[in-house]
Amino acid sequence: MSVVVLVDERPEPLDGIYEEFSAPFRAAGVPHEFLFLIEPARESLATTLEPLAAGGAPVRRLQLAQAVPEGAMVRLAAEQARYDTLLLMPAYRRVEAASLPLLTTHVAEGADLALACREPRRDPGLNRFQSRVFHGMVNRISPQRFADIGSGVMAIRRGLLAELPLHGEFFRFLPVLAAREGFTVHEVPVRQHTADQHARVYPAGTYLRRLVDLLGLFFLVRFTDRPLRFFGVLGSVLGVGGAVVLLLLLYQRLHGIGIANRPLLLLGLLLLVLGIQAVALGLVAEIIVHLGAPRRKSYRLREPGPPPPPPAS
Amino acid sequence: MTATRISVVVPLYNEEESVPPLVTAVRDALGPGSDWELVLVDDGSRDRTAEVAGQAAASDPRVRLLRLARNCGQTPAMQAGFDHARGDVVVSMDGDLQNDPADIPRLVGRLEEGYDLVAGYRERRQDTVITRKIPSWIANRIIRRLTGVQIRDNGCSLKAYRREVLARMHLYSDMHRFIPAVAAATAGARITELPVRHHARRFGQSKYGLSRIAKVLADLLTIKMIRSFRERPLRLFAIGSLGAALLGFGFTMAALVAAAWFRPEKVSAVVFPGAALLWFELAGYLLLLGLIAETAVIEHRRDGAEQAPLARGDLQ
Repeated sequence: MSVVVLVDERPEPLDGIYEEFSAPFRAAGVPHEFLFLIEPARESLATTLEPLAAGGAPVRRLQLAQAVPEGAMVRLAAEQARYDTLLLMPAYRRVEAASLPLLTTHVAEGADLALACREPRRDPGLNRFQSRVFHGMVNRISPQRFADIGSGVMAIRRGLLAELPLHGEFFRFLPVLAAREGFTVHEVPVRQHTADQHARVYPAGTYLRRLVDLLGLFFLVRFTDRPLRFFGVLGSVLGVGGAVVLLLLLYQRLHGIGIANRPLLLLGLLLLVLGIQAVALGLVAEIIVHLGAPRRKSYRLREPGPPPPPPAS
Repeated sequence: MTATRISVVVPLYNEEESVPPLVTAVRDALGPGSDWELVLVDDGSRDRTAEVAGQAAASDPRVRLLRLARNCGQTPAMQAGFDHARGDVVVSMDGDLQNDPADIPRLVGRLEEGYDLVAGYRERRQDTVITRKIPSWIANRIIRRLTGVQIRDNGCSLKAYRREVLARMHLYSDMHRFIPAVAAATAGARITELPVRHHARRFGQSKYGLSRIAKVLADLLTIKMIRSFRERPLRLFAIGSLGAALLGFGFTMAALVAAAWFRPEKVSAVVFPGAALLWFELAGYLLLLGLIAETAVIEHRRDGAEQAPLARGDLQ
């Protein structure tokens, strides 16, 4: 099994991470490697791995040439990993090391993805409140309910990563994307690490990015194949609003009330124009989806069937 | 081994009771030979459909089961069946026994007269008037009008296709309702229609309600655009842009007339010029969007992803 450690946000000393989290695999004699993906700003941390590697520990490091989103880091990990099961985790302590084999066991028994769910949560109420709000929004979009998508610790079949859209920061929503594609996703209760039990307040920009990510996820899950339905509804609401305002003004004009100096006329026209713009944008999105249709499948088979017949001559 | 001539593709969603009589009816219609296959596509059913269909496939090598990993919808399920069908002729039909497999030989016979697609239409529909027949009648009129493809019953799934046509169609979203229009737009298919039998649903419930009307309208707009402007989307946006620019000129004229003829205190100096600016802005916006769409089409062609058009005379 390849343990992939993403070294980007608030990393802790990497040698300590290796020693603690490799212990259960070493004790059980499970063949494994630790693959540290290190973003440029964290390059200095990589030196702590050198003595481990020199001592024969199965440690590899990949130093990225430029800062990339976590999705790209995971894609790179899937290419570089030596084993078919990947265990993804951040470079800080979220769950207890002893729980990692539980996740890989779920994958070995048939799950495509096993997500760690910290239970019971022992961190302050503020963290749990934030988590509840975030999961409330995620679960409105997701086809499967999740209790702790933010744990960031998951075991996953490598082949699955090739079938999921892993761009940008969507790594965080990997379980949602996997469930949407019909993969088997298990959420496995594990013990929360004692180091993970302090209150966390993030900068305002982080919350804003999460909201934007959620909007992206919403669009991806619901409208990727049919963008005009999203833009069409938006455009219709705006356009109908504008039309109602203009009809009201027309009615007043027919009853002798002047409209040439009414800002309401501008509002009606603005809504109408925005509605047309939204629908037009949806049409462009549909053209792009239509052109891409031959290159992608809108379904996934549960069991690989026979190969498709050769194309007609 | 006999080559497969006809593939019957049937998407299934929660149709466990319908599967056994469906398989029997297809066997009765197509005979004991082995030149046909029945491709059952389980669209992530939550009942025992996959199990029952699996039993049918295990007991007859002509019956095949494809299982989708999740409920993807009728269009992806149908596309999965098309992708895996082996026959030179492919027939699609619903799995709820409302279509009658006994009509398949007639559809195939008509196809062999030189058509690329034969669409069945339900002559005596066994459906409710308010929620099914009237919406369907209105939808079919709009579809005919907008797509120019004169098919009277787009909602009837019983259709026969030449394989070459399917190879040029890539269905997604809910396009199964517009297959003749898509076939005409993307493959230039020669299309005809035949009356077919229709039975009332025997088991389970309909998967569709009146909520589909808005979806149908959005999809129809897409199909219309693909059919009319697939090659040159800039023209569509240029037409819209021209209309917006004309309205902009109209409001500019109104502003000039108002300024010249009325006292300034009666007419705001902002409203008409503001309205003119809005329409000019829309005109520019649409033109730019058209250029983006045109770029997407050009890039698609440059990738070599576009298939050659269907040629006549190579179908026998």
